[in-house]
Amino acid sequence: MSENLASLFQDYYCSLSNKNYSVDTVDRVFGGASRETYKIKLSDDSGNIEKLVLRLSQDSSLIETEQKTEYLAYSAFQNSQVPVPELIDMDESSERLGKPFMLMKELKGEAASPFTPDVYHPHEKDLGKQFWYILGQIASAQIDKKIFESLSSESKDPHWKQELDKWVKVIRDDSISIEPILEAGIRYLYRNPPEENDHQCLVHGDYRSGNFLYLENKVTGILDWEMAHIGNPLEDLAWALSPIWSWQDKQRPAYLISREEALTIWEESSKIQIDQDQLDWWEIFAAVKGMAIWISAGHEFKTGTNIDPINLFSAWIPGDIHLEVILDFLEAKL
Amino acid sequence: MKPEINIALLNAAQEIIGRFSPLIEDEYERSRLGSWGALVLISAMKFNDAASSLEKENKDVVDWLERVGKFNIKDLHSEGYVTGDTTIDQLDKNNQLLRNLLNRTVATLEENGELKVIGSAFDLMRSMHQRRKVSDLIGLLQQAES
Repeated sequence: MSENLASLFQDYYCSLSNKNYSVDTVDRVFGGASRETYKIKLSDDSGNIEKLVLRLSQDSSLIETEQKTEYLAYSAFQNSQVPVPELIDMDESSERLGKPFMLMKELKGEAASPFTPDVYHPHEKDLGKQFWYILGQIASAQIDKKIFESLSSESKDPHWKQELDKWVKVIRDDSISIEPILEAGIRYLYRNPPEENDHQCLVHGDYRSGNFLYLENKVTGILDWEMAHIGNPLEDLAWALSPIWSWQDKQRPAYLISREEALTIWEESSKIQIDQDQLDWWEIFAAVKGMAIWISAGHEFKTGTNIDPINLFSAWIPGDIHLEVILDFLEAKL
Repeated sequence: MKPEINIALLNAAQEIIGRFSPLIEDEYERSRLGSWGALVLISAMKFNDAASSLEKENKDVVDWLERVGKFNIKDLHSEGYVTGDTTIDQLDKNNQLLRNLLNRTVATLEENGELKVIGSAFDLMRSMHQRRKVSDLIGLLQQAES
């Protein structure tokens, strides 16, 4: 695949840039379940090097998302307080590279595994302050009207219901086992809906440890916006806070700084005051949404559609953790 | 079967993680094989108890349903519950049936506001989850990967 891709990409990029380039390396990045991500290094006739990141749609993706969604989300934050890669191109057809794709410049930095404690040590405090501050900036950002409209749903239902319905449908479509804990969680969410917030924002959809780049003590990029949509700002906050991303140190969400400090920074940055009951709802929702993703992964694996081990891992470990999170919440609410 | 299947799997995981994975230069393929090693390791750890855990879980759910849901074993048989067959396939079929009944019973309890009994259902769900969960092996996986 890589050799074929390298050849296709070289032709495409030379045509796009109107210059001669040769592809030096094409390296696939391990871990993503919704896109095939490649780091591509090219050099021109003068020896100048370009480092790019190519995101291809997968033949089988856990959650069907369009390249355009991610492209628009990145577009919304070009040259802003929210660090994102510089966009180069996007193609929703399969004509040029065999699959729809998005192309951007590579940012400096590395992404950590969300399941490794102390992975950010000794910079967890600096990184934590930036991580929660940037999320507040996303929540309060004024989004370009056209982008906002493109990412808005046509449904008149409140955002919480649109999101819950969407993920429950994934669960209904892909479940291979009955999970009484999950079902009790879903019933709780429908029985106790949150107030519809006037504040709508661009929701990242997967803002968490592991989806940002960092270089020593600096957050250099927020990645993986393919689930972006317009919705409630607490959705991203609750997802980022989910205990799954700090399972071995639950007091320090995302293995960065304390929950209390994180919430204070987010409130100051977003200028939104948190209602604890509303946040509770979104935190249970986060676990149900997580279960939908892990169930979908298990379904892909079991049916043989995509036997990438990340799908089996997702169904086993994160699936386990989010069930426990739901049960903890339900017991606390009883 | 001697040596036992779980021992074979453990050794296979060790070979994949420690011997073969580091030989692969391509970072993506190396990570992918390393992940397979970790998943084989989890399988090995859970293999021995797979059947007995399911059997115990099924018994716990039956006991709870009899106590709370007014089901008896005859009702369960009429729903498709099979006794006397302890193959994993059959235990799993029974398990899915029982989970469905547990779910339906809890939904009814919620509608009736029977909080105390719902609490006992949560206790049961927690013990079921504790028995089958593999998330406590995360630390082991991290050790294996490093």
